[in-house]
Amino acid sequence: MTAAGRPGCPGMPGSLQLAAVTDDLRAFLASATGRDELRHIPAGTELFGPAVGLDSLTGTLLLREIQRRYGVDVAAEDLNLDSLATLGTLAAFVASRSDPPGPP
Amino acid sequence: MTRAGTVKCVVWDIDNTLLDGVYLESGDQPPAADPVLAGVLAQLGGRGILHALASKNPPEAAAHTARVTGWQFAAAECGWDSKSAALARIAAGLGIGIDTLAFVDDDPYERAEVGSALPQVLVLSPEEAAEAAGWPEFSPPVVTAEARGRGQMYAQRQRRQAAGRAFAGTREAFLRAAGTEVTIAAATSADVPRLHELALRTRQFNSAAGQPAGGEATQEWFTQLLSARDHDVVTVRLRDTFGDDGVVGGCVIAHEPGTWTVPLLMMSCRAMGRGVIDAVLAWLIRQAARAGAGQLRIPCTANTRNVPLRLALAAAGLRAPHAGGPGPAVYQRDLSGTLPALPAGVRAPGEPPGEGQ
Repeated sequence: MTAAGRPGCPGMPGSLQLAAVTDDLRAFLASATGRDELRHIPAGTELFGPAVGLDSLTGTLLLREIQRRYGVDVAAEDLNLDSLATLGTLAAFVASRSDPPGPP
Repeated sequence: MTRAGTVKCVVWDIDNTLLDGVYLESGDQPPAADPVLAGVLAQLGGRGILHALASKNPPEAAAHTARVTGWQFAAAECGWDSKSAALARIAAGLGIGIDTLAFVDDDPYERAEVGSALPQVLVLSPEEAAEAAGWPEFSPPVVTAEARGRGQMYAQRQRRQAAGRAFAGTREAFLRAAGTEVTIAAATSADVPRLHELALRTRQFNSAAGQPAGGEATQEWFTQLLSARDHDVVTVRLRDTFGDDGVVGGCVIAHEPGTWTVPLLMMSCRAMGRGVIDAVLAWLIRQAARAGAGQLRIPCTANTRNVPLRLALAAAGLRAPHAGGPGPAVYQRDLSGTLPALPAGVRAPGEPPGEGQ
């Protein structure tokens, strides 16, 4: 479902892809929470910590968006949700799993 | 599969179904309600079943139908889109599964379209709907005060959501501005039917998937635990200036030496995004630690439906070793170290009244 030309499209070199996913997640968190400052949080920021304060509603929206955009079902692949520790761990989890299979 | 009480919402066509005629063809004398189906609306509504409208008509048709049937519909989709798309939007807006919808339409084409696009929906003709009150799908085993008021609560929810969208600020700020109050209290025998109903109906926020401690969460199970010395049964109520949702959640606590175990934690998905589950988990952690327990344990089987609960558990610092893939697991948290603050607007046993924090 990832449209070509979007940030995070398959086939990008790994580090570029990771940076794009990280930015994408920042933008989504900012819009889902209505807190613009989340566009600038460092990759080490804890998602469940006070700065982001991810809860079940925002978290569900975030995981649904990741599945839609990157085809990665985080909740099914990481039952314990350890990948949600920080922005950086989540972006790395998504980037590592959304790499090719390219277009069908 | 016909389980008792599986239908949570009936989606009705308007022309020649709820109305005795066609709205747009009737000039300045719009049709009256079909008297038989108007009676079915009230009968099913009294059991806590919601009603919604899906019609290829302008929105005025929905307002007219509400007036002549005397019914407050939980949702109305008017437009020229397919009925299956309208049903999907209604289910999403109400936060219920598509498999809990029934659909009534006099037009066999519309029934076929919904039946083929959404095979999990129970599709009925108006003649069949007239008798639906006698069917098991429309007969929930327990009907509580919360269930009877459910239609009204969804209308309150629409007003709350509209206000939330118009509010300039974070969701937390909106919840405070709306005067959100979460009240955690010891359950009494009067709460047992509602707790049983929650245990049956909740999916997204149910730690035990209906099977706490390997058995069913029957009314007898709750009643027996109410008098058990080593267990606590707890209710969670929610209200704000838009309305009173009553008991939206509950949990059972088993006190063991050094450990608090929660064999059942549940919340209505209607309360999602209003800080309820986070308040309950923070309270459990605080109270368990104060009682001298070293660990809080919540058994929970990870599945695709309970992702919201798993997120809440993770947010509250509970983790489970899922070494063997999906299946039963115990989420746990060590209780040494800093305790979480109780969110504002929460009243709970063992916590000072007031603003929380």
